[in-house]
Amino acid sequence: MSLISTLLPSTRRNEAATDTAPLTPAASPRYEIKENPDAFGLEVWLPGVAKDGLELTLHEGELTIVGRRAWKKPETWTQLYRETPLADFRLTLAHDNTFDAAKVHAELRDGVLRVTLPKAEALKPRKITVA
Amino acid sequence: MKPETQNQKGNAMKIVRYHQPAAAALAPLYGLAGRNPVVAFEREFDRLFSNAIGEMFTLAPELAANNAGRFAVDLFEDKDNTYVRAELPGVDRKDINVEVVDDYLTISGARKTFGTDGKTSEAVEFSRSITIPEAVQADKIAAAYENGVLTVTLPKREEAKPRKVSVEVK
Repeated sequence: MSLISTLLPSTRRNEAATDTAPLTPAASPRYEIKENPDAFGLEVWLPGVAKDGLELTLHEGELTIVGRRAWKKPETWTQLYRETPLADFRLTLAHDNTFDAAKVHAELRDGVLRVTLPKAEALKPRKITVA
Repeated sequence: MKPETQNQKGNAMKIVRYHQPAAAALAPLYGLAGRNPVVAFEREFDRLFSNAIGEMFTLAPELAANNAGRFAVDLFEDKDNTYVRAELPGVDRKDINVEVVDDYLTISGARKTFGTDGKTSEAVEFSRSITIPEAVQADKIAAAYENGVLTVTLPKREEAKPRKVSVEVK
């Protein structure tokens, strides 16, 4: 891996996108990753995405979120001004399998997706009592 | 200050955007062959810059935090109504205020973020005003919030609606 892709993760992401993802325009959503002793928390802003338009895939070393916008402009409406992008949301995050994939929990409410990724038991800090 | 008034005075300063001629335009043949190092550099520079700027808004949390009070707004209209859509993901319905004063629609409120312990940690305030293009019936404005998108429906006043008038030709 080159130095450029280390410094700028986007170049790396583009490389990954060319061999797996279909070439459809996609917007990168805003997201935040939090951590507590038991789990990682991922919060993704997906305004306009309903539950049935959401796709969450846990692949080998990759977590992919695709959000399709539920709303389409009605035929009779005339657009005067537009800022919201038309493209679907797509977010791919690399991970190192440090969480329990079977216990992943996701919740979509009011356009915010919250994913809880419980840490794998083996990685939790363990106190060892000395006999 | 309006640009029209400046023009009327006649002594307003002229602002002309100057475009630096691109190296590709100056050396078209080299550009086609892709062998000109200047063109190659320019492309590489553009590519890196667009990436770096893209990253700034999507990845860096400290920069995103400064941007937290901003939200995207759409404006639509049909025969009877003007519609405003605003992307406000994760905001409680009761924390959204919609106000109409004269020609301005103001959407404001606060987004409460939760810490890992589930308690409210902070509230980020947001506010935006939009000029409504046509007169509305202020008492019939409706707002709905779904999937993190607020839609405000502003019914047009009768006199603002397009009217079909048949004129008899004698």
